[in-house]
Amino acid sequence: MLVFSQSLISGLLIGGVYALIGIGLTIIFGVMRIINFAHGDIMMIGMYLTYNLFTLAGIDPFVSVAITIPIMFLFGALLQKVFINRVLNALPQNQILLTIGLGLIMSNTMMLIFTSDYQILTTSYSSSSFRLFHISISQPLAISFVITAGITALLYWFFMKTDTGQAIRATAQDRDAAQLMGINVKRMSIIAFGLGSSLAGTAGALISPTYYIFPQIGSTFTLKAFVITVLGGMGSILGATLGGILIGVAESMGAVYISSGWKDVVVFVLFLLVLVFKPSGLLGKSRA
Amino acid sequence: MAINTKENKAAGGSFITTGTVLSLLALLALASVPSVVSSPYTLHLMILLFLSTIMGQSWNLIGGYTGQYSVGHAAYFGAGAYTTMILLQHFQIAPWYGALAGMGVALVVGLVVGSICFRLRGPYFVLASIAVAEILRLSAMNLKEITNGAEGILATDLPPFSIGGTVITDFSTKVPFYYIGLGLVVLTVVVTVAVQHSKLGYYFQAIREDQDAAHSLGINLSLYKNLALGLSAVLTSLAGSFYAIYVGFVDPPTVLGLDISVQIVLICIIGGIGTIYGPVVGSLVLVPLSEGLRSNLIASAIFETGIVSESSPVGNFLKENLAHAHALIYGILVVVVILFMPDGVLGFAKKLVSKRKGGRA
Amino acid sequence: MKKRFVALGLALLMAAPVAAFGASVKIGVINSITGPEAPIGENLTNGIKMAQEDLKKKGVNVDLVWEDDTGKPQIAMSAMEKLATRDNVAGVVGPYTSACSNAVAKLAQRYKVPVLIPAAAKEEITRQGYMWVFRMNAPADVYASVLIDAALTAGKPKTIAFIYENTDFGTSTSQSAKAYAQKKGIAIVADESYSKGSPDYRSTLTKIKAKKPDLVFMVSYVADAILLMRQAHEIGLKPQAFLGGGAGFTTVQFAKEKQISNYVLSSTQWTEDVSWPGAHDFGKRYKAKFGKEPTYHAACAYESMMIMAETAAKNAGNREKTRAGLKAGKWNGIMGEVKFADYAGFTNQNNHQMLVEQIQNGVYETVYPKKWATRKLIYPFPGFK
Repeated sequence: MLVFSQSLISGLLIGGVYALIGIGLTIIFGVMRIINFAHGDIMMIGMYLTYNLFTLAGIDPFVSVAITIPIMFLFGALLQKVFINRVLNALPQNQILLTIGLGLIMSNTMMLIFTSDYQILTTSYSSSSFRLFHISISQPLAISFVITAGITALLYWFFMKTDTGQAIRATAQDRDAAQLMGINVKRMSIIAFGLGSSLAGTAGALISPTYYIFPQIGSTFTLKAFVITVLGGMGSILGATLGGILIGVAESMGAVYISSGWKDVVVFVLFLLVLVFKPSGLLGKSRA
Repeated sequence: MAINTKENKAAGGSFITTGTVLSLLALLALASVPSVVSSPYTLHLMILLFLSTIMGQSWNLIGGYTGQYSVGHAAYFGAGAYTTMILLQHFQIAPWYGALAGMGVALVVGLVVGSICFRLRGPYFVLASIAVAEILRLSAMNLKEITNGAEGILATDLPPFSIGGTVITDFSTKVPFYYIGLGLVVLTVVVTVAVQHSKLGYYFQAIREDQDAAHSLGINLSLYKNLALGLSAVLTSLAGSFYAIYVGFVDPPTVLGLDISVQIVLICIIGGIGTIYGPVVGSLVLVPLSEGLRSNLIASAIFETGIVSESSPVGNFLKENLAHAHALIYGILVVVVILFMPDGVLGFAKKLVSKRKGGRA
Repeated sequence: MKKRFVALGLALLMAAPVAAFGASVKIGVINSITGPEAPIGENLTNGIKMAQEDLKKKGVNVDLVWEDDTGKPQIAMSAMEKLATRDNVAGVVGPYTSACSNAVAKLAQRYKVPVLIPAAAKEEITRQGYMWVFRMNAPADVYASVLIDAALTAGKPKTIAFIYENTDFGTSTSQSAKAYAQKKGIAIVADESYSKGSPDYRSTLTKIKAKKPDLVFMVSYVADAILLMRQAHEIGLKPQAFLGGGAGFTTVQFAKEKQISNYVLSSTQWTEDVSWPGAHDFGKRYKAKFGKEPTYHAACAYESMMIMAETAAKNAGNREKTRAGLKAGKWNGIMGEVKFADYAGFTNQNNHQMLVEQIQNGVYETVYPKKWATRKLIYPFPGFK
């Protein structure tokens, strides 16, 4: 029983970070219909940013999120303006390959700057935990979970209540119609990619105190992000939140009750099943 | 409906005669290489070039002609490689039979993938194809009894190839591999040409241009998509088997990894998708480039020309970093090709040529 | 057009110059400079660079030809083909990973080029009777046996749990560890593999904790070691000893995490405080030059290059004579006594004495075997601070 609840809790907490990665990808996909293969690499850049702010300027990772978010937003917006906007009407495989190429550039540039060494960010609380009914809860993960929840709520408000948010949603629903209605679609795309990138970067920042960093770390998370977004329904923010938490718990439970080796297979099988039987995802509206 | 008429005209018109003659000449030249060139390193690079061409050409059938962008071709590559190695190591079955078995396995995998993934379109199909390849990779990792898990399978020496008691080759040099590779390149090219000029090719391209229109014309989508995938899978598995016996070692990340799938797609995109020469051109760009950067040959060549002195700070920087940066340059190349040559290097070259011709006329 | 491309490619291949210094000897290096194995590969690179400097001081001018294998066997083959047939090197040091080493070993035998493998663990590499392939480090089975032996001399553990990454190194090391534990009568109560890079091992560790093992044996390549120990700390896993099989448990980064790494035992090919000649000095100079502590990979690569270059220089770059020189020679340097011997099915394998080190107050101390120990082994594990 203790093993069960322990895995449930740690799965939930990690799932929070996964959710952020997934939300970022889902926004980008929703607006641009582009699968961003560089998503994990963008997250990696956020990690390095956090790491350097901590080691060079001594800023605590949870505080430096306030710096990471705008920087990563600008970075993403720049990527969109310079690269992605040019291929919006290109063949889908070209879009995918463009993001793969951008990912390669990011990871290898970081490698040339920071070498391929593993960097570990150690804060005073990196391995602290507190106990709740005999279950140990990682302090940094708990903090990042709270921050994640806050960001998600803020995002929800942004998309529902603000004009820009609604314009982005309109663009996601029907690009051409949005254009006809006078929405600056290119600008919305830039905002969307910026948002997606800043979320990925934030996820990187939040996971840094309990994880490690190296230039090639991105691909693991890119794949994970795909699974999460499909599970939740491409383009659905709530869906991605749910998908992230679901994957976090599934991995954690799978490691205990199936085997650490096979748990990833389970995740991908689940992913295929959703794709085939409910391609719109668990919470997505079906799209023709 | 917008079937690519340019392509058809080119394939059916004058292109075929000059093209065929040129190809045969090139083939003749390639076939005589081992008798002229004795450097095993050069032969090795040629073999890598062939391998890359086979992989690209096989993907081209499903990705280029039929428009189904599989990013999971590592599944078939790995199926061929693993089947060949398992049969060779566990049952002492010669690799040429192993390769045949591998084709069978790849076909089965392909049909399973088809039955799942062809319900999906666009990005969903891409993601599904990745998922299937990942499942295969993870299974190979976990089915230790069969695949030896993460430790991989190491081949002891290959049995000599003999017909009727006479030993044709004992695989002690690179030459037999060279000819096997060349033979496979010819095979994939011939298959592609044959497909392109048959009704099959017409159906494939109709599906690529507009699935719904193709369907309304009475083309059985599921049948022809599966046919294209099956053909592509079988040929890709041959590339995998060839890789396995040539390198003599397989493990999950090197033959079933996502890198392989991406690499396969890149060959076609960089060369030019949906054309016979595309994968050839893609390989001719990618293989020498990555080898040249990796082994610092390009840096040495720059020093040789005297533009930069080896001892100067710039030279030192190049020498130190060019080899490290090969993956970076690779990435930049991909981005440049996609942004500025959306039809690949071949398409770009064609456009340049036609522009020049247009200017003259 | 196609022919023109081929011609261009061939021209490029032949364009590079072949440096011809008088007394220098040409040695090839194959290493994972980029790619997923690059973080560890960098240590080998540094070790070799230091060897090159030291060789110069000794009057041996080495012309190194660097080749990146990007961690892929077929690329390692390209590198070896090039070194053997185009660059005409006297010998090769590398590659780093087992998969690449295997591929290269085969070619070494074919082209008759002596290859000295500095740090690849897979046992089979030197078990195929290849006379041209030498290995500096002790193979995978020793990583496990030396640790379990150390634990058995210090206490009486009855049960053991395994958690290891599902890579070649992880599975083969824990495989031999399991066999060795059984031989010594220690019961295996948990056997968990993980894919490296996952951020959460808490559930697996909780499962292990429930089994109350006396020993927890972990194999991890890199920074996962820190994650595993952090999370073990979080959930309160407290066995009699944590055993770390090489790699990730032997890095300075790991030792610096005092809160979680204190008293962890790990097996290693080399330590800085071991009384092998020059080991301490090597560590000091390495730190001064690269700004970080050397790992055992660096030491293995350094010594491999020293031995290869000196032997090759002595034999004027003649491959056959260099091979014979390696086979017949005996050295005593930073890796202790080195001799490439044939034993227990191995060919040209240095029967290297692995060491067990324990982190005591953030510093690695050699604690086993007694002959080389600088501190007493602390057992059982006193708990996290």
